[in-house]
Amino acid sequence: MTISTVLPARKTHLAPADDLLALLRTTTTEPRPDEQLEALTLAVAADLPVLLWGEPGIGKTAALTQLAASLDLPLTTVIASVHEPSDFSGLPVVGEDPAVQGVPMAPPQWAVELVRAGRGLLFLDELSTATPAVQAALLRVVLERRVGALQLPPGIRIVAAANPRASAADGWELSPPLANRFVHLYWVHDQEVVVRGLGGVWPRAELPRLVPELLAEAVAFSRRAVCGFLTARPTLIHRLPSSETRRGGAWPSPRSWDAALTLLAFGTAASASREVLALLVRGAVGDGPGLELLAYLDRMDLPDPESLLADPAAAELPERGDLRQAALEAVVAAVGARPERGRWEAGWAVLVRASETGTADLLVAPATALAALRRDDWEVPETMERLAGVIGLAREADRSVRRVTAVGSALRGAGAGR
Amino acid sequence: MEKLLAARLHAVRVRPYLAGALFALHVVEDRSVPTMAVDAHWRCYASPGFVARTPVEELAGVWVHEVSHLLRDHHGRGERYGRRHEEHGPGERLRRNIAADFEINDDIYGDGLPRPAGVVLPSLLGLPDGLLMEEYLQRASLSGLAADLAWLDCGSGADGQVRPWELGPGGSNGLTRQQRDAVRFRVAEGIRGRPGEAPEGWRRWADEAFQPPQPWRQLLGAAVRSAAGAPGTGENHSYRRPSRRSAGVPKVVLPSLRRTPPRVCVVIDTSGSVSDAELGSALLEVAAITRAVGGRRDLVSVISCDAAAGVAVPLCRAEKIELLGGGGTDLRSGFAQALRSRPRPDVIVALTDGQTPWPSASPPCRTVVGLFPRPAGTADERNPDYVPDTPPSWARVVTIN
Repeated sequence: MTISTVLPARKTHLAPADDLLALLRTTTTEPRPDEQLEALTLAVAADLPVLLWGEPGIGKTAALTQLAASLDLPLTTVIASVHEPSDFSGLPVVGEDPAVQGVPMAPPQWAVELVRAGRGLLFLDELSTATPAVQAALLRVVLERRVGALQLPPGIRIVAAANPRASAADGWELSPPLANRFVHLYWVHDQEVVVRGLGGVWPRAELPRLVPELLAEAVAFSRRAVCGFLTARPTLIHRLPSSETRRGGAWPSPRSWDAALTLLAFGTAASASREVLALLVRGAVGDGPGLELLAYLDRMDLPDPESLLADPAAAELPERGDLRQAALEAVVAAVGARPERGRWEAGWAVLVRASETGTADLLVAPATALAALRRDDWEVPETMERLAGVIGLAREADRSVRRVTAVGSALRGAGAGR
Repeated sequence: MEKLLAARLHAVRVRPYLAGALFALHVVEDRSVPTMAVDAHWRCYASPGFVARTPVEELAGVWVHEVSHLLRDHHGRGERYGRRHEEHGPGERLRRNIAADFEINDDIYGDGLPRPAGVVLPSLLGLPDGLLMEEYLQRASLSGLAADLAWLDCGSGADGQVRPWELGPGGSNGLTRQQRDAVRFRVAEGIRGRPGEAPEGWRRWADEAFQPPQPWRQLLGAAVRSAAGAPGTGENHSYRRPSRRSAGVPKVVLPSLRRTPPRVCVVIDTSGSVSDAELGSALLEVAAITRAVGGRRDLVSVISCDAAAGVAVPLCRAEKIELLGGGGTDLRSGFAQALRSRPRPDVIVALTDGQTPWPSASPPCRTVVGLFPRPAGTADERNPDYVPDTPPSWARVVTIN
């Protein structure tokens, strides 16, 4: 044969090409916070199936490769669209006597190897271009973690990827039960990262680490948050997606709230930022309920009105205007719930404190409400004088509103006279 | 500063549904700002000179204007537009700012907010009101205006380009993306909760802020495709014949890929309330989608239906089909007619404005409804539970607009 003579010749010809490729592949990394990768890591750590939505070629696979390397898990990629249903539900193999022995469903090689390894990251790519029968077979892999007769061990984490409907050629979408099982993360590219990466420097995300001391606290916090929120908003416990635009995405149900609770605990234990928590919670229960839960978390951060009333001089109010107003309104509401002279005066003291540390226009509404709570025999406290600026501001705003309405009615009158 | 705060109070008085957003803005006094501007992190920069020479009521209008840039995510949308159309540079910044102002200014003034003299309105260029920033950018060069309006600068909150005076993402008192979303969401929920208080433009924004409308062509396509591609029709695996791979793997039974082209029946509401142009575009779309999923032309039929249903006509003739009808609608007869045709359709696509009785039970095939939206008649705003007649839940509804 001539193979032995051909091989060295080919090598010499290709040697410069190999060198060039080696140079091209030599890249460095730099640390760079990456919220979507952080969210993905936390969801994978929490053992919830993740679905990455993203345009083809955006770097979903590259992100998965990096994740598998940093979690030290072997990565198994299965491209769903080139498989047949039997590759997931098992191949029926007819034996000697099917009536006696039955027809076993033989699992494919990749599943056997995955089970033998006992741990790994199973990446189901191209979910959106598989035929409906393949998708149906895949449901079992995701929901029951079964491939044919084989049960996947708990050390295996599942991540899937799909193209958004707008760019998917065949427009397949997730059925609500399947969508409810996934944490949906939308993968987008960052221009800066791509340009720097092609220039030879790829980002290296700092993966979140769970802090052992925070675990118990994190569970208590997320249980309090989700339970408190759902007590206040019972209609959000279960809401099937109704409109066509919401199909295929995350939606709230007891199961996805359980996922949100888990994710919140993982995020808290890893000291993840609110941004990352937002990606995770919105990915689990959908945008609307997720945003409402996050708004509720903001409210949980507000100072307790009773402790503000107990020590007004030391009151620490939030910096942000809308939150500060919410805190003051909570104080007024607390006074209104149990109106006593001492509490009413403490309420004014809180407002005075607020006027010293922030803008005065925020105080108008709470001050008006507090003034309305006055009983006849309560005297106006002296500290009220320090709120004179607030009253001036309110009057000026009133005057300007009146000026506009006066002009408006004058114009209307002129128009009617013509 | 006092005056600016009084103006904010004025704005809150006359636009209570924007209060949360107005109060979330952090005020920064800065002499290098031309007038007032916002950045993407919800900081509001104001020039003391501008505040001193502007009356309170006009400043209130500026507050609402600036917060509108942020609520409507003009910086994000402006950047996306710029990236998509590869348009950058200072002239482009101004163009985006003007287009964003057009989107805002046509409906925020009046009703307690006086319209200032030099306000930028779409009518300056003879454009209609009520379009989106992107539409204004596409429709007009805006270059004629640019020279006159070079002073106009609402900051990076309006167009996404960073200004020298801005504190940037790292500076103090900025809102993170998550916090901005939360504020916008609360304002949108507030408007949706009490739609009576807010004008049409804001209600539309609130409906779409966190659920951007998708092009109906894609939605209709996805609906028809998934109806036609579901098990039983379309391309799928089947054990009816062994796979060609079976020869290589003895003892293993493999399914083969089989294709059953879907039969699609389009029921068209030809009552007087649906215009021919609407019907024509929707019908062509359905035909194109059906071809794309592998349906043959002879498998698509069309029934025109008003109070009584016509005969199912194959699509090859339907392109010249005379859409008979006018007057009232009863789609039930259309459905009945579609189901009577032999062979029975796999998918029924109904194109209608929804002003019709619906079949009481789900038909024995998949149903997609292309709905031409009509303004709700006398919606009862005092009763929040009031729901107008909607297509039944067994149909997948795509709104066509």
